[in-house]
Amino acid sequence: MANRNGLKGFFLFLIPIISLVAIWEAVYLMDIIKVLPSPAQASNRLVSLAMTQRDGIPLLLRHVGTSFYRICLGFSLAMLLGVPLGLLMGLNRYVNFLLKPLFSLVLPLPTLAWVPILLIVFGMGDITIVIAIFLGGFFSITYNTATGVRGIDRDLIRAANTMGASRLTMFTRILLPGSMVSVIAGLRLAVGYSWRALVGAEMLAAAGEGVGSFIFMARQFSAVDDMFAGLVIIMLAGFVMERFLIEPLEKRTVRRWGMTRD
Amino acid sequence: MKLGRARGAIYSLGSFILPLLLFCLIWELISHSGLVKPILIPPPSKVFLELFEDRAEILTHLVASLKRLVLGYSLAALAGVALGISMGYNKYVHGYFHPIISTLMPVPGITWAPILVLVLGFGDPTLVTVTFIASLFPVVYNTSAGVSSIRKDHLWAARIMGASRFTIFSRVLLPSSAPFILTGLKLGLARAWRTLIAVEMIAATLWGLGFFIFDAKEYLRTSDIYAGIVVMAIVFIIIERTSFGTMEKRTIEKWGMVRDIG
Repeated sequence: MANRNGLKGFFLFLIPIISLVAIWEAVYLMDIIKVLPSPAQASNRLVSLAMTQRDGIPLLLRHVGTSFYRICLGFSLAMLLGVPLGLLMGLNRYVNFLLKPLFSLVLPLPTLAWVPILLIVFGMGDITIVIAIFLGGFFSITYNTATGVRGIDRDLIRAANTMGASRLTMFTRILLPGSMVSVIAGLRLAVGYSWRALVGAEMLAAAGEGVGSFIFMARQFSAVDDMFAGLVIIMLAGFVMERFLIEPLEKRTVRRWGMTRD
Repeated sequence: MKLGRARGAIYSLGSFILPLLLFCLIWELISHSGLVKPILIPPPSKVFLELFEDRAEILTHLVASLKRLVLGYSLAALAGVALGISMGYNKYVHGYFHPIISTLMPVPGITWAPILVLVLGFGDPTLVTVTFIASLFPVVYNTSAGVSSIRKDHLWAARIMGASRFTIFSRVLLPSSAPFILTGLKLGLARAWRTLIAVEMIAATLWGLGFFIFDAKEYLRTSDIYAGIVVMAIVFIIIERTSFGTMEKRTIEKWGMVRDIG
């Protein structure tokens, strides 16, 4: 919306947010909730986080960077393993028969339910967090890829077969474009799950750095302005991810393959 | 006819259970083989035995979680559908709330937990509020998308033929946006469940499935953790099948609004 209408759209987008901050300030001034910091305090904290350096890198960047590194690692692993397994499940009847019940059971599980086990096996730290992110994305990527491949019109496959398409042609011209919508839908879901898993796992397996552990540690010191600063960081990160990464990617790929639904 | 249907049901149940049994068997063998420490991967037989022995305790945890889920989720469903419909109906309401919703939606529900713990303390108020927040956004988002996607000529036609506001609402608006609203409610429920379990690990009181598995971690009781996970998976599948299965039949199938929603 902001892009289409230029400046006007941008302000129309901003006004409600500003009004929300105004309400926040009002609640603070009326002193209804004792622990609430003012918007100014939270943003001051945010600025000081961006200014304070440790080893030459601003604290803010350290936390965001660590989280970003973890989610990239976990999510790429999920994609690298999930898509091939999903294709296999979609193409092979037996693999599908064996794995489908398992996946439909595991899929709705909260990702963080695995964290206690991971904590016992791997302890606090990066490995646990990355695996939690991986698990968050892996199941929905695999499941959606398999559904996509199975949803391809059998006639198309038969037609290609009759006309003597090679295995490679079959893959690049029919299986890939045919399942693309579903694969992308799975990836999109998976980004959300991984993101949630990241913040949650960082709270539970706090290892010093990362936005989740930042907020969680702030609670232990009752540093409310820290917590709100962290909340704003997470809000911005999520928004940026949604707007500038997922939406353009979705538009480009799904539209280009001519597979828009509805 | 009836016999055939019964046979089909038995067949589909069998094809669901059989691979799971096979999986349990493999797991059991691995666990006994001594390749991994049995404390990390306890055999399923032990997990189910634990489940049976601790059934009273686990049931209390489950009931505590379900109470919170029902309370938080039903509040979110009511508020979310109401807000979503007014957003879809009125341009200005949409203009105001859309930026707020789309900024707050990617924030993982668990982020609010440390802040709410400071305000509301440990326990039910925090857990219910976080569940509410987590499930509110998908409901609002999908409902408003559904209402605003109604074909305008349907509305015009109803209005020209002199339908009252109430008739338009109950005969045009509600049926045609029902598939979207149900999608939103479904997503909301899944998110509520995930978030609740996660937050129970952090803002733990004494009861709740999330608390149960996180507490079991402290004493390295892995079979308890797996037992908790099994309960979570089964319970959620039952909830989803029973509630949404019948709801879909009663509403969108009856109204002839069945559509493929990805």
